[in-house]
Amino acid sequence: MERIDRVERLTNLLALLLETSQPLTLVQIAGELEGQYPGKESTRRAGFERDKAALRQIGVPIESQVLTAHQAGMTGYWIDRDRYELADLELEPDEMRALQVAVAAARPSSGRDALWKLGAEVADGAASVTATVPEVAGLPALRDAAARRSPVRFSYRDRARHLDPYGLLLRGGFWYVVGHDHDHDEVRTYRVDRIEGDVAVGAEGAFERPVGFDLRVAFPTDPKLLGVDGVSADAVALVCVDAARAKAVERELGAQRVLARHDGGAIDVEVPCANRAAFRSWVLGLVDHAVVEGPPDVRADIVDWLTRMARS
Amino acid sequence: MSPTTRRTAEQRLRRLLVMLPWLMERGETPLADVARHFAMTDEEVASDLELAAMCGLPPFVDEMIDVFIDDDVVIVGVPRLFTRPLRLTAPEGFALVAAGRAAMQLPGADPDGPLGRGLKKLEVALGDDGVVVDLPRPPGVDHLVDDLADAVRRVERLTVRYWTASRDEVTERTITPRRVFHDRGEWYVIADDRRSGERRTFRIDRIETLQRTGEFDDPDDRRDHGVGGVGGEPEWFADGGLPQVTVRLAPEARWVIERYPVDEVTTTASGDVRARFSVASPRWLEQTLLRLGPDAEVVAPAQWRSLGATTARRILERYASEGDGEGAPR
Repeated sequence: MERIDRVERLTNLLALLLETSQPLTLVQIAGELEGQYPGKESTRRAGFERDKAALRQIGVPIESQVLTAHQAGMTGYWIDRDRYELADLELEPDEMRALQVAVAAARPSSGRDALWKLGAEVADGAASVTATVPEVAGLPALRDAAARRSPVRFSYRDRARHLDPYGLLLRGGFWYVVGHDHDHDEVRTYRVDRIEGDVAVGAEGAFERPVGFDLRVAFPTDPKLLGVDGVSADAVALVCVDAARAKAVERELGAQRVLARHDGGAIDVEVPCANRAAFRSWVLGLVDHAVVEGPPDVRADIVDWLTRMARS
Repeated sequence: MSPTTRRTAEQRLRRLLVMLPWLMERGETPLADVARHFAMTDEEVASDLELAAMCGLPPFVDEMIDVFIDDDVVIVGVPRLFTRPLRLTAPEGFALVAAGRAAMQLPGADPDGPLGRGLKKLEVALGDDGVVVDLPRPPGVDHLVDDLADAVRRVERLTVRYWTASRDEVTERTITPRRVFHDRGEWYVIADDRRSGERRTFRIDRIETLQRTGEFDDPDDRRDHGVGGVGGEPEWFADGGLPQVTVRLAPEARWVIERYPVDEVTTTASGDVRARFSVASPRWLEQTLLRLGPDAEVVAPAQWRSLGATTARRILERYASEGDGEGAPR
């Protein structure tokens, strides 16, 4: 067999599948690309499978179907040009420029390749305002699934989950996928970096996102508001914060949460505490600048936590 | 063989499929421009294009892709195939959407401006995916992020009152902001600090007040601002000379590994997880140990083994002496 560069063979295979007007069997493909695949059937099949996987890996959509009539039982392959080609986004120069700056500011790892396909480059020079967008393995598949309304399956805390993904939310440095959970029959939120293994994507158009569904609302902003174990989501605790941190705490919670102001600058504030762990973390972050006044069980919780620590 | 064999066939083909349509649109392009645009060497571009020119199917053997290099200019003849780039892959689509939505949350973004319009067009092509990037401004001081971004552009010196968490003290400083960034839920400003004469990273929610001085510095010509975009506490950007602590973590306490930069995590034969951290200050360690509570234990160094218990006792005293003098100066 003539020595042929793999890039050349892949390019020829790609061209052939793009140009064909009907599905081609492996025998036909090998015939067209004469001398580029081995003559022996099993090695030819292995070489072709490897090439097909390489093309799919770079994003080429290869269609296949089992043929009928005189080719009955054989698989035919082709590429649908409309599915292969990048749709023209019809971006105006200023819109393209804005995307280039956006990619420069967030530096996603595939941003450069994406801009190249749009005919542009990443904007040069260091951006003066930037944001780190964390990247997690499952995100591209989940985004795609949400856009296509495809259900997804993944493993989370050792259990298989079935979700209609309504969208993705980046908040507090973590990506969350929000959607309708089939097993629990309610809207649930999962942290994407905690998904174990791959995300399997189902058929397109399998669900509708509820009209007016708002991800920001579906997902509580403040972790202290997350109700758990039957505690009402509007449970609050009374916390006394001393003068040293009073100003910062008032700023964080808002003046309407300040219930009393003491001489010397200390304040009493009400703080959401439905999620006890989040509340504890918040109040202990103030170290000795804050004391929980009540309710008694919340106060006892903190005292117990500190007592167990003090004993060690 | 060419010197480019280190690149895989997939990488070369992927690049070729984006390079060809770009060249076809231009007709003639200096080789150096192609190389610069696609971050390749001249030799790599030349060898890939020569290879492309050899591709062909009957009856178009050797003339499927009409491209040649003449006098360091790439010339493309009549385009037949590969006139359009390959569609965006899932990671590329995600990259554009996430970057665009994130940029829309940065100071100065206008939903009706070019970025907003560009994102709408992306949505038409990539689908309505419900991707939301939320970069909320620090509560109560939401204008600070925008004020600082403005100051970066003007290169104006500012006077700020800043609370240093690790020492629990508020100091007044004069700074020249150089870059504003958001990372893991917090906003930071990298600025030249007059007092120390160093470039420091400040957490914006810890700036209590900010005043313009009307004095301006020279624009920064350092492309890399010398500080990476990861970390939480500004102190973490400091040198490696910080003391370290090793903490044994029960399963309930292992979240800390995700939250803070850890120097090393080891699992002992008995299944114990131990994490080694750099300690910005004893104050930070106190705070972290309080949050970890009974689920964590300092293993080394000896001087910090009882820090958690001592801190817990100090706070418990406040609970015991309830009512007399919270808020009194310490």
